[in-house]
Amino acid sequence: MADTSRVTPLPASVPVLSPVTLLRLVIILTVLAVWEFLSHSGWLYRDVVPSLLAIGRAMFDLLAHGEYYFNLAVTAGEVGAALAIGGSLGLVVGIVLGANRFLSKAFESYLYYLGPTPKIIFFPIMIMWFGVGPGSKIALGTLSCFFPVALSAAAGMRQIDKVLIRVGNSFRASTAQMVFKIYLPAMRHPIINGVRLGLGVALIGTLLAETKLSNKGIGFLIIQAYSIFDMPRMYAMLIVLFVLSIGANSVVGRLGGLDSIKRS
Amino acid sequence: MTSTPHNPANTDILVVDDVVVRFETQEGPVIAVDHVSFGVRQGEFLSVIGPSGCGKSTLFNVIGGLIGHTSGVVSVGGETINSPHQSIGMVFREESTFPWRSVTDNVAFPLELIGMPKAQRIERARHFISLVGLDGFENRYPNELSGGMRQRVSLARTLASEPKILLMDEPFAALDEQTRLLLGDKVLQIQQQLKQTTLLITHNITEAVQMSDRILVMTYRPGKVKRIVDIDLPRPRTSEIVGSEAFGRYVAQIWADLREEASRGMRDEEEHALHHVSTT
Ligand SMILES: Nc1ncnc2c1ncn2[C@@H]1O[C@H](COP(=O)(O)OP(=O)(O)O)[C@@H](O)[C@H]1O
Ligand SMILES: [Mg+2]
Repeated sequence: MADTSRVTPLPASVPVLSPVTLLRLVIILTVLAVWEFLSHSGWLYRDVVPSLLAIGRAMFDLLAHGEYYFNLAVTAGEVGAALAIGGSLGLVVGIVLGANRFLSKAFESYLYYLGPTPKIIFFPIMIMWFGVGPGSKIALGTLSCFFPVALSAAAGMRQIDKVLIRVGNSFRASTAQMVFKIYLPAMRHPIINGVRLGLGVALIGTLLAETKLSNKGIGFLIIQAYSIFDMPRMYAMLIVLFVLSIGANSVVGRLGGLDSIKRS
Repeated sequence: MTSTPHNPANTDILVVDDVVVRFETQEGPVIAVDHVSFGVRQGEFLSVIGPSGCGKSTLFNVIGGLIGHTSGVVSVGGETINSPHQSIGMVFREESTFPWRSVTDNVAFPLELIGMPKAQRIERARHFISLVGLDGFENRYPNELSGGMRQRVSLARTLASEPKILLMDEPFAALDEQTRLLLGDKVLQIQQQLKQTTLLITHNITEAVQMSDRILVMTYRPGKVKRIVDIDLPRPRTSEIVGSEAFGRYVAQIWADLREEASRGMRDEEEHALHHVSTT
């Protein structure tokens, strides 16, 4: 926020690394060193802990071929679709529950029970309904991200400052204007939080489904590499996936930080 | 001292006629507004004053069309009010700016709702921002402003909808004394400049006497009209007037009325509390 930058001037040019960064670097380097030591020690089965060099080579291989990007696009598309469908359904249901005490009493406890249930148990049903292709993955991802978004939206709806609603009514705002100009912006923080959680579980749901039964997507590639015991390739994919998830999460966080909706 | 009759005349722009508001609570019905009648004249500044809990905010919400009333009629320019009316602009006691909108976008809000083109509504918003003395703060956000400035944004936002009647419920209540005085001067100045018909709800006697053409004193529960007092003081009313003898007489008269009601309210609340203690 503009105020804070005035109070604590940003460190424009820091000559040395901060202690936190330094500690992080030390930890990462230590892990890498131990890993490399283990891979050469011969204590474990060969290739369970491949050398860093082998992983690096596998990663280069991976990123140099179109096949990986195709599967990445498949998974990204599935997660995106899941987030779009589950997120909007969750938003609508959350707003309705948040606005209506009767419906909230009747149904909200189900959301709390079903929310933490591992959605993978519904995968067989999803396969029967939507087939073995991307459809069942999207369905599982949708199911996963619906709950956190719906629960955050319902809670967010209830914490809206009531006077803002009265202001909207006094200016005779229509229902659509109330939703888009007051409810949604007033709920921006809980909604962004819900979408963040939703993205995480949509990613988990989709990938888990891919590893169970599929013929494309990142989950499929990982499980394929595992089944032919190509450990360097598997580790390379895990690392790339890890980096991508962090990126996706920070993109959602950044969206939440947009100037127009950031002000609290 | 002159007191006008309570009955509204048909030249009044806003008419409150025999309005009753009853709330059903667990402890039985509460009559918040009891057969209240009065009228607001075109261009006048009318204050409603009364002890806390006497039904002022309830009256405010009924006139604003935000809550219904049990019986009676509220009408503006001859039209009966059952829901918010475009001729009435409300300013709330609570902090009510939209934190996600800049000052300009806050003030332009009512214009946005009626679909005014962007360039035009920004120009209108600028005009009202300037009117409340917030030039230079157009692009700031509410969290960068003081409480008094935020209340001025709310005022500008309501004025931007160009209401025939400006209706305010203790708009200065949450502010410190200095800010309150300065903002009071601002409101008075704007009201005179725009010849804005204004209905101010307050519990501050000095404020009411300084600003008003007439003051309506309410009784403690059930809220009835106790008296309507004409304030015959010259305008423009600068702070000097506060020290004058005439001003002092008005304050004393209204305080006498109000003290009676306020102490009745206090006794009532004490008894209520005692009753609660003895039954639990
Ligand atoms: N929604 C409501 N339900 C029940 N009682 C209410 C409600 N709103 C106000 N009251 C009661 O009506 C009376 C008048 O309240 P209010 O209009 O807020 O008074 P004031 O603004 O003069 O302090 C109070 O006794 C209050 O408890
Ligand atoms: Mg009140």
